[in-house]
Amino acid sequence: MKKTGLIVNPIAGMGGSVGLKGTDGEIYKKSIELGAKPTTPQRIEETLNLVNRKDLYFFVAPGKMGEDYIRKFDFEYEVVSKINEETNADDTKRIIRDMLEKGIELLIFVGGDGTARDVYDILGLTIPVVGIPSGVKMFSPVFALSTFSAAEIINNETELLIEKEVLDIDEDAFRKGKLAAKLYGYLKVPKNLSLLQGKKEPSNVTKPEKISKEEIAQYIFENLEKDTLYILGPGTTLATIAEKMGVEKTLLGIDAIFKGQLIGTDLNEKGLLGLIKKYDKIKIIVTPIGGNGFIFGRASKQFTPEVLKLIGKENIVVVATEDKTSRLECLRVDTGDAETDNNLKGHCKVITGYKTETIIEVK
Amino acid sequence: MTINLHTNENPYIPGNDIQKAAQKGLGKINRYSELKDLIELKELLGKYNNVPIDRIVLSHGSDLLIREIINIFSKDRKIIMVSPSFFPVAKYALNQARKLTRIQISTPDFKLDPYLLLNELNEPTLLIIDNPNNPTGKILMDDSLAEKILQNKNTLLLADEAYYEFSGQTFASMITKYSNLAITRTMDKAFSLAGLRLGYLLMGDYYKEHFSNFPTNLSTPTLFAAIEALKKPEYMTANVDKILNEKIRVEKELLKTGIEVFSGSTNFILIKSKNSDFARKLMDSGILIKDLSDEWLGGFYRISIGLPDENDALLSIINNN
Repeated sequence: MKKTGLIVNPIAGMGGSVGLKGTDGEIYKKSIELGAKPTTPQRIEETLNLVNRKDLYFFVAPGKMGEDYIRKFDFEYEVVSKINEETNADDTKRIIRDMLEKGIELLIFVGGDGTARDVYDILGLTIPVVGIPSGVKMFSPVFALSTFSAAEIINNETELLIEKEVLDIDEDAFRKGKLAAKLYGYLKVPKNLSLLQGKKEPSNVTKPEKISKEEIAQYIFENLEKDTLYILGPGTTLATIAEKMGVEKTLLGIDAIFKGQLIGTDLNEKGLLGLIKKYDKIKIIVTPIGGNGFIFGRASKQFTPEVLKLIGKENIVVVATEDKTSRLECLRVDTGDAETDNNLKGHCKVITGYKTETIIEVK
Repeated sequence: MTINLHTNENPYIPGNDIQKAAQKGLGKINRYSELKDLIELKELLGKYNNVPIDRIVLSHGSDLLIREIINIFSKDRKIIMVSPSFFPVAKYALNQARKLTRIQISTPDFKLDPYLLLNELNEPTLLIIDNPNNPTGKILMDDSLAEKILQNKNTLLLADEAYYEFSGQTFASMITKYSNLAITRTMDKAFSLAGLRLGYLLMGDYYKEHFSNFPTNLSTPTLFAAIEALKKPEYMTANVDKILNEKIRVEKELLKTGIEVFSGSTNFILIKSKNSDFARKLMDSGILIKDLSDEWLGGFYRISIGLPDENDALLSIINNN
């Protein structure tokens, strides 16, 4: 039997739907106050449901950090260590250390970039990991693209390992509008490159790129529709569009503009649903994450399946510079709701410049 | 010595007859090309392509012809291109066009969705397509799709067939039937004349009026070498066969190393390597290949087929890394 660790960060991803960028430190409490609900149970259960290997013996973290989910399945397992009602990064690190003592050869973890950092702190390059994405900030390429991909990697695990970057951003800086990915280290992942998430590269504003963004902004501005509420996602391209519309938007938040007036900043799901009820004509403008192409389900989790269903696919405008677009194999969505994802799949026109567009597949 | 496998050239130098013809042209460089020689070249190209000579335009390189078509025929039209491709689009052409739409073809098979394309032809359009495509080497359009497109009178189709001799795919037989069809070709690749830059256009009726007074500025070495090459095209077909056989061999060897190979219909191979230093390591050993990650997807490289010993050198370095 292969000794396999399983640990879940139960609070990863909770900040997303309420408009908070991450759940590191004290922000977790704020997300609870705002009504956030855990997203990780669904993630781990989706993955475990697809794992068909019979040779795995699990060492799992207690309660909501692992045990609560694996007991619904038919795997052999034992629980490692203890936890209190409230858990934090120290628990994650302590439990992984205990698992190592039990001799685990592979660690499956569910969380976001912060969790990947905790895993790295203990494991370094000792044993391989499979990361199941559930966080708000998803910069690190160590994560599988989806729960399905994670299961596929576990099922087809090879002895060939590659080192992938653990990236994270300073959450305080992120909330203040600064985007700076830092390299924290490397983790070993089973070689299956085509399924791994591309490195999310913060776009550097060089002169040509700045001009491209201005051209996109000009084109959007000239084609603005009357009496329409525009909801702009995060990113510097969107900030350029907002500037052209005469308002200053938050760099990483979701803001709403109506008739040249900023009527909502840093909106969470609740705020978005409120606006959707109020306005007849609404358009969302978003840009994909560089490198992996996600338009929904990674950087802007406030666009929940419910929000996207109400807005409708036809009212989603995607913008990206030509440089960014040409480096994408496709656009991706992973909202956590299969029906919403399927509805968004197909072909999408990305505005890449003034009077310029690229038709690209959404997977 | 550097081995150039990055610009899709033909590794075989043309024979003595062709080199002598070019030298004969050098002996006349104080004179402009003569009309009778230009007509002779057109007649040979007409015979080679089975196209009447009044449908042929000569130029130094096909890029100039493509630029000319974009500049003249994009006014108030939508331009459609495939991404990736390496066509020149002059900024002012975009100013006069209604818009530019790129249709991205993607892994694993790089196919162009015919329904997606046909749906985009709902307004006056200039569709520019390289067939086979560079850098994927894929044939994106067959005769049946081309005919469907050409039946739409609002669409002008420009097919660049630079690699026709390697792919065998051409729409030349449709040129008299469809006024809205134009084809660009080159003698750079299969005929081994890259240094002389002989490109030509095959055109349907719609384009003829504009190109009736298009200046033909061919240098005398280019003109004489091209005439000689077309008189004995057997050398070209023999070289194409050699290159295609080498290509099969190189592809097989690359597959053994675990590199992902995307098979195409040209004199180059598209590959994907997980080694981020792939091109750099080859360059350090004096072999140049095209690293596409600068302008396209990371990990993708294009390798032109060289002489057998050049290909061996390439494979040897890959195997030792």
